[in-house]
Amino acid sequence: MLYDLSLHMGYVYDVAASGARHLIRVLPLSVPERQRLIAGSVTVTPGADERTTFIDFFGQQATAVLIRAPHERLDIRMQARVMVETPSLTADLSPPLDELKDELAGLWSVDAASPHHLSGPSPRLPDDPQIAAYAREAVKPGQTVREIATVLCSRIHKDFTYDPKATTVDTTPREAFRLKRGVCQDFSHIMIVALRSLGIPAGYVSGFLRTLPPPGKERLEGADAMHAWVRVWCGEASGYVELDPTNNMPAGTDHIVVAYGRDYADIAPVIGTLKGYGNQKTVQAVDVVPVK
Amino acid sequence: MSKGPATERVLTEEIATDPILGYRALPGVADEMLDANGEIKPVWANLIAHLSRLSEAELHERFARADRYLRDAGVFYRTYGATGGGSGERSWPISHVPVLIDEREWETISKGLMQRADLLEALISDIYGENRLVQEGILPPQLIANNPEFLRPLVGIKPVGGHYLHFCSFEVGRGPDGNWWVLADRTQAPSGAGFALENRVATTRAFSDIYAESHVHRLASFFGAFRDALQSHKQYPDDRIAVLSPGPANETYFEHAYIARYLGFMLLEGEDLTVVNNRVMVRTAAGLKPVGVLWRRLDASYADPLELNQNSHIGTPGMVQALRSGSLTLVNALGSGILETRALLAFMPTVCRRLTGEDPIMPSIATWWCGQKAEREHVAGNIERMVIGPAYSGLPFFDDNGQSVLGSSLRQTARDTIGEWLSTEGTKLVGQEVVTLSTTPAYVDGKLVPRPMSLRVFAARTANGWQIMPGGFARIGSGDDVSAIAMQAGGTAADVWIVSDKPVAKPTLLPPEESFTRNMPGSLPSRAADNLYWLGRYIERAEGALRILRAWHLRFAESADPNAPLLADVARYLKSIDMDMEKAVPAPLLQNINSAIYSASNIRDRFSPDGWLALTDLAKTTKRFHEAAQPGDDAAHAMTILLRKLAGFAGLVHENMYRFTGWRFLSIGRYLERGLHMTRLLGHMSGPDAPDGSLDMLLEIGDSVMTHRRRYNVNTARLTVSDLLALDPLNPRSILFQLNEIRTEVEQLPNAFVNGQMSPFYREAMRLHSGLAVMTPEGMNTETYRKLEQEFERLSDILGQTYFS
Repeated sequence: MLYDLSLHMGYVYDVAASGARHLIRVLPLSVPERQRLIAGSVTVTPGADERTTFIDFFGQQATAVLIRAPHERLDIRMQARVMVETPSLTADLSPPLDELKDELAGLWSVDAASPHHLSGPSPRLPDDPQIAAYAREAVKPGQTVREIATVLCSRIHKDFTYDPKATTVDTTPREAFRLKRGVCQDFSHIMIVALRSLGIPAGYVSGFLRTLPPPGKERLEGADAMHAWVRVWCGEASGYVELDPTNNMPAGTDHIVVAYGRDYADIAPVIGTLKGYGNQKTVQAVDVVPVK
Repeated sequence: MSKGPATERVLTEEIATDPILGYRALPGVADEMLDANGEIKPVWANLIAHLSRLSEAELHERFARADRYLRDAGVFYRTYGATGGGSGERSWPISHVPVLIDEREWETISKGLMQRADLLEALISDIYGENRLVQEGILPPQLIANNPEFLRPLVGIKPVGGHYLHFCSFEVGRGPDGNWWVLADRTQAPSGAGFALENRVATTRAFSDIYAESHVHRLASFFGAFRDALQSHKQYPDDRIAVLSPGPANETYFEHAYIARYLGFMLLEGEDLTVVNNRVMVRTAAGLKPVGVLWRRLDASYADPLELNQNSHIGTPGMVQALRSGSLTLVNALGSGILETRALLAFMPTVCRRLTGEDPIMPSIATWWCGQKAEREHVAGNIERMVIGPAYSGLPFFDDNGQSVLGSSLRQTARDTIGEWLSTEGTKLVGQEVVTLSTTPAYVDGKLVPRPMSLRVFAARTANGWQIMPGGFARIGSGDDVSAIAMQAGGTAADVWIVSDKPVAKPTLLPPEESFTRNMPGSLPSRAADNLYWLGRYIERAEGALRILRAWHLRFAESADPNAPLLADVARYLKSIDMDMEKAVPAPLLQNINSAIYSASNIRDRFSPDGWLALTDLAKTTKRFHEAAQPGDDAAHAMTILLRKLAGFAGLVHENMYRFTGWRFLSIGRYLERGLHMTRLLGHMSGPDAPDGSLDMLLEIGDSVMTHRRRYNVNTARLTVSDLLALDPLNPRSILFQLNEIRTEVEQLPNAFVNGQMSPFYREAMRLHSGLAVMTPEGMNTETYRKLEQEFERLSDILGQTYFS
């Protein structure tokens, strides 16, 4: 499926900000056999005094900008054309839980693709005994890792209410778990903590969802802004599987990957520091249009 | 015939009870002073002979000299309350008896640690580079991938100059067999080298005579070599070198300031720095200046909120980008903290053989990572001899605030489940063999007693490879428990003397006499300028308030009626400047002086110990008076004492501070505050409705009673008072005088002229000065004073915008 994507993130400051530095990660990724970035650009207004791009540890292109002069609003825009492959339906080749542990132990690598990065606690996701207990309840003996991940994905979808007002970008998984509410970021974080507590490496995916559903299908949650879902390591044979707990589905041709990380902190679309005070308002608009 | 043995016995008994010579080692424990036969080792002989000849009183007098030195030099480290609430400054706890080590033995220690420093460099370069050790199955990948000190943004960034590590320290201890062990490696931001220098000065204060004849290796050349090494990392001639500190709240801030001052580098905090076109720059009063080398005392994850810990408020956004572009040398590289990971110790022997092709010269403490089955079982099976602790902790087990548990202290029930605990939580745990440390003599309750000790040894990379600092720092345990874990209960620090048979070289950091260049002081960081300016303002504000309060209490002592019109009116004025009168010496005054101290504490590297002492003394006295002084004569007397102490501080500054940019900001702060004070006071007290006695009181507050009497042959009148206190350019308390001085100082500030034009601040100062200079006393009224007050405030704002942001 070929898509034209556009993203607009706007910030309006009560009091003019200056000396602003931002690290922007919004350009879709090229992932072999998953998707290919054909063309893409990131623009920032007002124009940046300094701008550099680099590839971060997990392979995502990051754009660093500096805007010196005072400005009352900031607009970050991304446009891209992406080819997303139709995933081939694969049989479940993932091992049972205890075998996964041995497979992991036999994997002597710390390169960016190594599941070891996704096996322990990360900046936003410390261990959580309550989420761990929730995860244990979901597991039945004899299940494969992929089955466990799929079950957890459905349970989170069922047990939690999608509610953009309940949480913010800084809500901890513990708090969202207590509220039983939240958005894609919260659901994904909870699912990652749950999987890791079982010994299953899991990471965070940021990206886009197609905005207009194909005829006859319902519009998916999270399509009007950037989306997030979960990446699960299901053993050497299966590799990584992507699941979307917000919509209780495997990530497929509707899901366009921007970045992979351990949690939101690794791949937040915009990280910024600026001199200023007062509040800011943000707006976000996403358009994901299939190209005929 | 029987006489001989009897005398001998008497002698033996005397020695046994002698506070110095009666020292005995603990059974089964190595001792630094005594050899295995209980004989004093040759290096100690001279010191002990001296000590044993001193009376108790003489000894105490010598130790007191050391303590006095540390107190006067203001050596402290910050302590945090157990509940996390309060923190305080604790004076440096010195154990006065140094630890003496023979230089031949030191040679062995040095060789072992140089090898280890090279090993750590090779290891970190592998971790942030190719990761061969993981691929070859030597290092478990979890230890890196799950390590909070593995900073992914730094992966693949080769440090400019090629080295990750430039300055390390090692905790080493001596085991019962007499051999040395590495207990911990410190690579993140090793502390203590500055304290070692202070240990040395303090100890030599106590033992100057013994030190002089003892052939002790000096510390200065180590610092000199490291300073030269840092200089050599500059890529551009105008690059600055600075010490990067987390700030005054850090426990070893004193040392950051001390080292910066000692080596002549700037002391900076994250907010002093900004990144421009991939270069790190320091904001100074003279604009942005490039920084080429940072000696980092800040934990790496806080260094850059954009790419590392996003919650850091003490970092510099963009620093990682500057590193990526190769414009900055960090000592040590960001990410070096991973080498402190406790679990890594388990792999050091293998890693050493793989990376250096040699066996470790000095072993590290036996460690087993419980993420592996065989190792886990070994730990469980030998739990009696183990300390169990967090695998990813960067703190050594004797310094981790009780996170580690001693296997032998576990109750039987806990021991039964140890196997299960280790297998479920194993990847997060390490077992380490309990080490027994050697003892060294400490002077406790009037005699020498054995106390466990470990050495902290510093290594610096220089042009000629690693240099090891010859001694300077030992930690001394507080009890006679010699298991290393007992070191966590506080204890003291001692100097370490590396003793030679022959005379040693006596280097100094002063350059040779025949060649010198007269360097102007480096640029003043904006934050330091800001703090100096406010220090000046707070000090002057305190003085202004004290003068009013004294005049008030003198009058109250006579009338005893706070409702008398003049007293009530002045009390109203005091209230308007936030001086509540609940206590004779009001709390806001105390706050004011504490604010001055706070400003001063932010620029401790620019402060002489004398100045600091004068300030803290002022605060202490104010506090005492605040608690005790009674209204009236008593309070007036207290104010007089405080004014005298303030004058003492001002005098120190005036007599001793180098007349450069820093001094100008301090002075401008004082002049501006004094001008503001006098303007407000005249506005309030010289009006036509002011109560009787106001003008006389004004003259008294303005210290101008005598001058007024001499200059004007009339009674005190509104016009003469305004003339003298506002417009007289020769009266050091008049408003015009302050503006005159400000103008003079501003001319000398950096960027007073921009492209030949006056800077906004200069122009404003000029305008204000000439505006007042042409005034006549008749023109001065409540309204003009009010306007003038606003203009002073504006001047302060412009100063801040021009120089402090």
